Amino acid sequence: MEALELYAVDDRADVYTEELKLNLGPQHPSTHGVLRVELRLDGEIITAARCDIGYLHRCAEKIGENVSYLQFTPYTDRMDYLSSMNNNLAWSLTVEKLLGVEAPPRAQWLRVIMAELNRIASHLIAFGTYGIDMGAATPFFYAFRERESIMALLERPSGARMLYNYIRPGGVAHDIDERWLPDVLAFCDEFEKRWAEYNTLLTTNKIFIERTKNIGVIPRQMALDYGLTGPVLRGSGVKWDLRRDVPYLKPYDEIEFDIPVGEGTHGTLGDCWDRYWVRMLEMMESIRIIRQAAVRVPTGDFVEKAMLKMYKSPLKPAAGEAYMRCENPRGELGFYVVSAGGASPIRCRARGPSFCNLSVLDALLPGCMIADGVAIIGSLDIVLGEVDR
Amino acid sequence: METLIRFFSDLFHLSPDGVLPLTLAYSVCIGSLLGFITVYAMFAIWMERKVAAHIQIRYGPMEVGGWHGWAQSIADAVKLLFKEDLIPDGANKFMFWIAPAVVFCGVFSGFIAIPFALGVQIVDIHLGLFFIVCIASVEVVGVIMAGWASNSKYSLFGAVREAAQVVSYEVPAAVALLVPILIVGSFRLGDFNAWQEEHGWLVFHNPFVIVAALIYFIASLAGCKRAPFDLPEAESELVSGFHTEYSGMRFSFFFLEEYASMFVAAALVATLFLGGWTLPFVNVSAWPVPFGIVILLAKIFAVIFLQMLLRWTLPRLRIDQVMAMGYKYLLPWGMLCVVGTALFETMGWRWLPL
Amino acid sequence: MNEQQLHAKLLASGLPGIGELDTSARDPFVRVDAGSIVAVLTFLRDDHDCRMEMLHNLTAVERPDAIELVYHVCSLARHHALTVKLSCPRPDGGNHDTWIPEVPSVAGVYSAANWHEREQWDLLGVRFAGHPDHRRILLPEEWIGHPLRKDYVYPTWHDGIPLELDAIPLYEPGGGQAAAEAAAASAAGAAGAAAKAPRKAGEPLFQPPAPLSTRPLAPGGKTTDTPASELGSH
Repeated sequence: MEALELYAVDDRADVYTEELKLNLGPQHPSTHGVLRVELRLDGEIITAARCDIGYLHRCAEKIGENVSYLQFTPYTDRMDYLSSMNNNLAWSLTVEKLLGVEAPPRAQWLRVIMAELNRIASHLIAFGTYGIDMGAATPFFYAFRERESIMALLERPSGARMLYNYIRPGGVAHDIDERWLPDVLAFCDEFEKRWAEYNTLLTTNKIFIERTKNIGVIPRQMALDYGLTGPVLRGSGVKWDLRRDVPYLKPYDEIEFDIPVGEGTHGTLGDCWDRYWVRMLEMMESIRIIRQAAVRVPTGDFVEKAMLKMYKSPLKPAAGEAYMRCENPRGELGFYVVSAGGASPIRCRARGPSFCNLSVLDALLPGCMIADGVAIIGSLDIVLGEVDR
Repeated sequence: METLIRFFSDLFHLSPDGVLPLTLAYSVCIGSLLGFITVYAMFAIWMERKVAAHIQIRYGPMEVGGWHGWAQSIADAVKLLFKEDLIPDGANKFMFWIAPAVVFCGVFSGFIAIPFALGVQIVDIHLGLFFIVCIASVEVVGVIMAGWASNSKYSLFGAVREAAQVVSYEVPAAVALLVPILIVGSFRLGDFNAWQEEHGWLVFHNPFVIVAALIYFIASLAGCKRAPFDLPEAESELVSGFHTEYSGMRFSFFFLEEYASMFVAAALVATLFLGGWTLPFVNVSAWPVPFGIVILLAKIFAVIFLQMLLRWTLPRLRIDQVMAMGYKYLLPWGMLCVVGTALFETMGWRWLPL
Repeated sequence: MNEQQLHAKLLASGLPGIGELDTSARDPFVRVDAGSIVAVLTFLRDDHDCRMEMLHNLTAVERPDAIELVYHVCSLARHHALTVKLSCPRPDGGNHDTWIPEVPSVAGVYSAANWHEREQWDLLGVRFAGHPDHRRILLPEEWIGHPLRKDYVYPTWHDGIPLELDAIPLYEPGGGQAAAEAAAASAAGAAGAAAKAPRKAGEPLFQPPAPLSTRPLAPGGKTTDTPASELGSH
């Protein structure tokens, strides 16, 4: 692909015009992190786009080859820092698969609640920042009011507000206190009322619908071809969710929940509004899951006793490899870990959903305006920590 | 104004038509108006921050000055004065320097025709409304100069968007303003106040006037570059649009200009549609002058409050949607209102027992 | 279909270069030859029973004797997944500086592979023949080397910044060993030595130390990447 150079649009016209080359980012309020998109513009219309990532590359995979399996857990926190419980979960499941152990039932049910709470928190940020991208500053503050409650809830078992390092191979790090589950249920009641408010703010707002309908349409085949997962895939009408189709935690088999998909309510199927609406509905589904799980958490160990020795001396799994994927708020996070019998893996690959979701941007942007480009980037809901690792 | 001229001519024992009394009188008026605008802008910024904060479930400024941070704007103004005056490399220095001045002068000139009470206005222009509509378009030139002179693609984008938007929305604004002109039959702003003192608020005179008031309100929002039409300064897309590269005092001029044009737009809405400095069924002209000023300011601030509410609730429209709304929706409806009002006036119909 | 059935389907397809199904691993995988990877993935994607619509992950793993490429493909319609592996044996003496294995690119089969392959080129130095946009993705364009290789040596100097902590002199206000030495030196040579001239504008603040590693950054002074002069303007 040739470099994005300036060239004349139409030499034969009376007015000599050129295409404008503009950088969107890496410092920009709307690129959701340090993302640079080189744009070639004909007035307001984008004629070509090229993503440039790597500004947040922190060599997590190289670090993974030098630290132990337990020590790598905080690094997974920092990949998709908005849904760190889910990242921890994916890493812990991969290590458990490599070792051939399973977490005890209490840990599994707690993991479900933590993962779903973090899913709601992550989708709240997606909702709030999407509002800001569109110019409505208010939904952001409403979303963060709920997020404060979630962070306070998750701070109690884990000790941290955002980068939890809580779900570890073998189970979870600490047990919850007795008041935690009733407080979670109280939060669910509160959230359901507030969810209705969010809809009046953005979902049914005519201006918002006009800004997001028929924008960034991803047909089903394109979504599968580019390896898109998560709400981006479901917004295109594909009813695929790892929690239901390839359940990675036993409780997901026993809990009843729906998978919202986009239906082309306001425009073409697979536009920005569908992806946004899938995220809104997923928040309610997560509440449903949490309500069912919170009353069914069994008593027992919160970590596999055989794994407790990892706190004294590093785990040394037998030579082998494992690949495990989990449904993150942004898509399917996959960890591929290869062990050669030592204390550190010899390959520790993180397949970030935002990395794959972002690759479709080069194909989506040409033909739309800058304002639409901002809407599309917001609807893909990327986190650069995961794109760059 | 006449009283001031007479006061100065008596003071210096000169003829009322002489240069000195006139100059002094006008200087006092314009100086006090400038002072009023600056203080008003500071108050409006504080009000905006408070309104935004309370919509967003937070408090806003609370510290500076004690009671709800009333001195926050003063502190901000002082801070802006002390900031380093940055001129981007490669910027066109003269245009960069003069653009804020052009923008502010364009808006400020609109103030001289607004009547604040009976006989209280700087110049009683016979074509007052026409003058305000025309002079407000000078700011477009200033904004384009600012965007071009900044030597930045983002600024240029903001300037070009702004040119398209503001110039386009002057059309439905002017068409909507034709409706009260048709009813009152004059361009002089004082005549609108006098008419409304006699007949009640214009907005209730005619169902079409309500629609025209709404059209003018929306079009004036676009002219002030307020959300949902704040594309020229779209923070989430263009960092800051045409005033990205401005800092310190120059930036504060653009800020002043935004709030000053909000004031002018609100003043026009209040004067033309909401009765100006009059109250219904009450003879305000008999009262002392400050009452009229207070009534008008109350109405203006109510309209400004509405503008702020809209800004913090609604998302932003895209530029082609802005254009479509102006030309495809506001303009035809405005023309319909003009035709309807003309019909009402010629037929002498009344729809309310007023 | 489980992995055995998928493997049987692959063997039945008649494509060359399909190896054994290794069931000893937790995720059983199929080994294929480099030459037939594109055909195999195309078959897996298009065959009615396999319907592997999505390439989920593409990883390169450096082992002592080879670089393995691991393709995780999955099917949403058929609810199954398969791991396909490709091995590039390491030649004698093949190390970070001398050996860049080359495999065909599958970006034509799955568009998702585009960015995955760019990342594996960037970090591990595996060339993908036929890739439409063969550039680095995470690291800067002018970076030399492939960091995820086991024998990658960290550069000591990049873009005018020393990358080793020992190379940066610590600031010692007033006291400290360096200041004491400097005071002793100036006291000894105060008579003849001129006062330390003030730093002229444009003069570097301090001289960079010699690189600690004796390995040249690339064999023969040539880089393994596109020289900066040939890159398009940014």
